[in-house]
Amino acid sequence: MIQGDLAVFVQAGVGIYIGTRNAALEPSGARALGARVERDGAHLVVYVADAAVPRILPDLESNGLAAVTFGRPVDERAIQVKGTFVAARPAREDERPALDAQWDNFSRTLEMIGVPREARSAWPRWPATAITLKPTAIFEQTPGPSAGSQLA
Amino acid sequence: MKAVTLESLATCFQGILPAHLFTCSAEGIPNAAYLSHVDYVDATHVALSFQFFNKSRRNIAENPNALVQVPDPDTGQGWLLRVRFVRSETSGPLFDRMALRIEAIASYCGLKGIFKLRAADVYQVRSIEPAPEELGLDCARVRVPGSHAEPNPIFTTIALQALAEIINRADSLESLVDAILEGLDENFGFRHSAILVPAEEAGVLVTLATRGYPENGAGAEVRFGEGIGGMVAEARKPIRISGLVRGMLYALAMHRDAEAEAAGRPRRKIPMPGLANPESQLGVPLLVRGELVGVLCLESEVPYRFHEEDKASIELLGSYLAIAIQNMQLQERALEPSEDAAPGAAASAAMQGTREIVYYEADEAIFVDGEYLIRNLPARILWRLLTVRDSTGRAEFTNRELRLDKSLNLPELKDNLESRLLLLRRRLEQKCPDIRLASRARGRFALELACRVSLRQA
Repeated sequence: MIQGDLAVFVQAGVGIYIGTRNAALEPSGARALGARVERDGAHLVVYVADAAVPRILPDLESNGLAAVTFGRPVDERAIQVKGTFVAARPAREDERPALDAQWDNFSRTLEMIGVPREARSAWPRWPATAITLKPTAIFEQTPGPSAGSQLA
Repeated sequence: MKAVTLESLATCFQGILPAHLFTCSAEGIPNAAYLSHVDYVDATHVALSFQFFNKSRRNIAENPNALVQVPDPDTGQGWLLRVRFVRSETSGPLFDRMALRIEAIASYCGLKGIFKLRAADVYQVRSIEPAPEELGLDCARVRVPGSHAEPNPIFTTIALQALAEIINRADSLESLVDAILEGLDENFGFRHSAILVPAEEAGVLVTLATRGYPENGAGAEVRFGEGIGGMVAEARKPIRISGLVRGMLYALAMHRDAEAEAAGRPRRKIPMPGLANPESQLGVPLLVRGELVGVLCLESEVPYRFHEEDKASIELLGSYLAIAIQNMQLQERALEPSEDAAPGAAASAAMQGTREIVYYEADEAIFVDGEYLIRNLPARILWRLLTVRDSTGRAEFTNRELRLDKSLNLPELKDNLESRLLLLRRRLEQKCPDIRLASRARGRFALELACRVSLRQA
């Protein structure tokens, strides 16, 4: 599902948020730290700092529905991936370097547009949870005429 | 920790750092999307910008509950606002304020009018919590009411008092505008500033004085609606812009300038002085009984330099400054000597070199050695002074004789002669310091030349 240019984009170090909802249809959501495309695009792993996990994991475990946005601050390119919950596990140490590299890249793009790195220096990024989703649809979200169109 | 109030999160509501909006459809499909503007409405409500018909908007129509995750740009702290949609406003003060901010940002990249605000959607805030994955830098800086980190009102009052004294002491328009910009620097630490006044041409502002830039920029013009100064003039309301979007749009604006130049449009224009990439800008209108007498602009390389309290203080200062500028112009006129200038002969200072000065009558513009100097009234005045000096040898002039000179075609009321003489003097200092307008006494000045001039009318 998430292949080619889209797979490169979501793993490049961009702004990521994951949205969920509970049984009462109350939306919830959290910032995520990074992402990994697995099984040739059939799985999307989203890494969320443990501090934020209690806000979304109960929703995912009860109804399995998620929406993940990926946005690049410099040009506002953004996509949204809808998906269903597969599994959650603690992120492994060997996943950390790739996660840090994505984070550094994201932080650099924010600095390019004037948001200082210090503003994010207190954000807890470890331990983190790896949340695996099965992508079901991908939508264009970059502001403009094609916003909302389905990409995959 | 005390309960966090919406007021204490004022810095989150600058509408610049994008927030995130989480919604859910009636069928239960969650949605996550960037949100460009969150604005403060009152103690229990916020407004979200509605610019595009999208999934979030459709979800809200079906299910009014939403979660907004908004960053505090000062501290890095993220805040979670659980909200419920109440109503949509398409006119009124809230809508105007949000629309203006969106226009102000868009105007920088030629997108004015494209990112139109369709509505200000008002939501009731049901709870506010800090986002634990976006911990702020220094919790003391998060403005919980009553904490010591709140802006110090005594400091602000003292700074405003100092500026009020400066205004009272000023004895000319020139000393007034210079002292105010210096006072903003010294008392508030606002290093880069400019005062613009309406030009003769309707819908145009012209720069009178600046501080903190390599060039004084006197005479630089902006159209209403262009940049921070032009937007403030058009809206007659204070506007504050922070860096994020400004940074994004900077490259586009540069690109547009380069295109214009490549298209061979003439550069008969004084560049507006400014920071290459300002992170924060604040502009306030100078209004007297609804009449725009000018715009005061501040900018900084520091992101989020200007806070809500600064806007309020500078707005207050602006109202005082506006009256002072207007009074100064009326007073200078009243105190001018009634007799004409003595025929004081031109001093024969050592003349170095020759300047070729050309006056283009059709567009009332003066070029010195092939370079654009100034246009409109200041150009007409300079041309008049140069030709009188050339034909009669007289070097001293009075404001009064300029007012009476039909050839200059000054408006009878509100001629703004002082401000035009001031910007002409500044422009000469910048471009050809060997031609000077030197003050002699109130309402009297001399045209001093340290070069020979060759005059030509085209």
